[in-house]
Amino acid sequence: MAEHANASGEEHAHHVKLEYQPALPLNNGKLIMWLFLSTEIMFFAGLIGTYIVLRFGAPAWPKPHDVHLSEPIGAANTFILICSSVTVVLALEAALANKDKLAKGFTLVTLVLGSLFLGIKGYEYNAKFNHGIYPWAPHGQVYDRADPYYTSAVRTRLTALRADLEARASGEITEEERERLTLCTNLLENTVKPVELTAATSTSLVERQAAMEKLADMVMPLGGGHGDESHGLNDEHHWLQLPVRIPGGQLWASTYFLLTGFHAIHVLVGLIVFAMMLPMKLDSSRANFIENIGLYWHFVDLVWIFLFPLLYLF
Amino acid sequence: MSEPHASGSDGHDSHGGMAKYAYVFIALCVLTTASFFTYSSAWPYQDQPAVGWAFMMAVSCTKAMLVILFFMHVKYEANWKYVLTIPAGMMSIFLMLALVPDIGLRTRHYSEERWSAASVPQSMAEHHAEEDHEAASAETAEDH
Repeated sequence: MAEHANASGEEHAHHVKLEYQPALPLNNGKLIMWLFLSTEIMFFAGLIGTYIVLRFGAPAWPKPHDVHLSEPIGAANTFILICSSVTVVLALEAALANKDKLAKGFTLVTLVLGSLFLGIKGYEYNAKFNHGIYPWAPHGQVYDRADPYYTSAVRTRLTALRADLEARASGEITEEERERLTLCTNLLENTVKPVELTAATSTSLVERQAAMEKLADMVMPLGGGHGDESHGLNDEHHWLQLPVRIPGGQLWASTYFLLTGFHAIHVLVGLIVFAMMLPMKLDSSRANFIENIGLYWHFVDLVWIFLFPLLYLF
Repeated sequence: MSEPHASGSDGHDSHGGMAKYAYVFIALCVLTTASFFTYSSAWPYQDQPAVGWAFMMAVSCTKAMLVILFFMHVKYEANWKYVLTIPAGMMSIFLMLALVPDIGLRTRHYSEERWSAASVPQSMAEHHAEEDHEAASAETAEDH
């Protein structure tokens, strides 16, 4: 503390004393957390900004239903995170009031809500994987356009399925498997083969394109409207898992999994800290710590507030 | 160095108490329902998606402000909050704007060859097909 020095001190005895402040008026933990959060702002702004720029600059972008996104599920997750943000501030208030058990209770509720969020996210990811939408190439079944590469991928998949079923047919085969074999053969001979023939031999670009589009529509028609459930081959026969044509789908998958994946990692880190807090005594001496993890958790909530409309409703 | 404890901002005062948190929570729920409203068939601007996007972004920014101001207690912090948040916020905008010329406007300079491998929206594909079909019909008519 440095006091205002003056040679004629007596004259200025009643002057206002200036207070020397050695740092910002907040504790070191909170300062570090805010510095970290300011880097996080730029990290997520980079990701979200890239998504926006890619999305609005893309020639085509899938509608939420084409990529099997469910708006009510997204809204439910938003509600869950908002509730968890409230329980964190309530845990802080309880700790400040030295109500250890209450603070622990709110922390536990936050932990459960965060886990529920991750569970729902996992369910959503699983729905994407079941429809052949992956963020990486070897498993991904999404094609941007109905072109010869697409028709050839459909043929390859059907041929592999047929070969597998034929191998089993030499031994014991169930009635269901026999039906599957018939369907694969029918599709290969009566649907894919004529399409590939038209695509290879027709002199009209319209005919070539129309034939390939027709095949893509048979596998998975693009609906896009509210509540429209597409009923293509992939929906009628889940085991087929044929490649699908979704214009802009590959870029959509990359950005969706990157954004939600990084967000989920942040949620997971928060949950680990909440789990570590449970055995602690959460009284006012821990208030700074609870406030700091609370700041982090609110930031995670904040990111989702923007991700929800951008990914599910745009 | 011991931690500085200036009076005021670090004192964990009760920032409005339970009532304020309850109001903010209700406001956040109402706003989430509002952005979800654009998804319902009652939304009047179905044919103008940009209206819905602007509305949703306005709602999201309002929700973000509520969380930042009340849950993160930024409303009650000293002026250091501007030092840490404004430059990061500006950098976020610059990061996005820097991508616009090369990424956002990338299709402006696509060659015909590049377009032939690009994903094409359904409407454009149909439009091209119609054009091609008309050209083919005209050719056939000329032949006859």
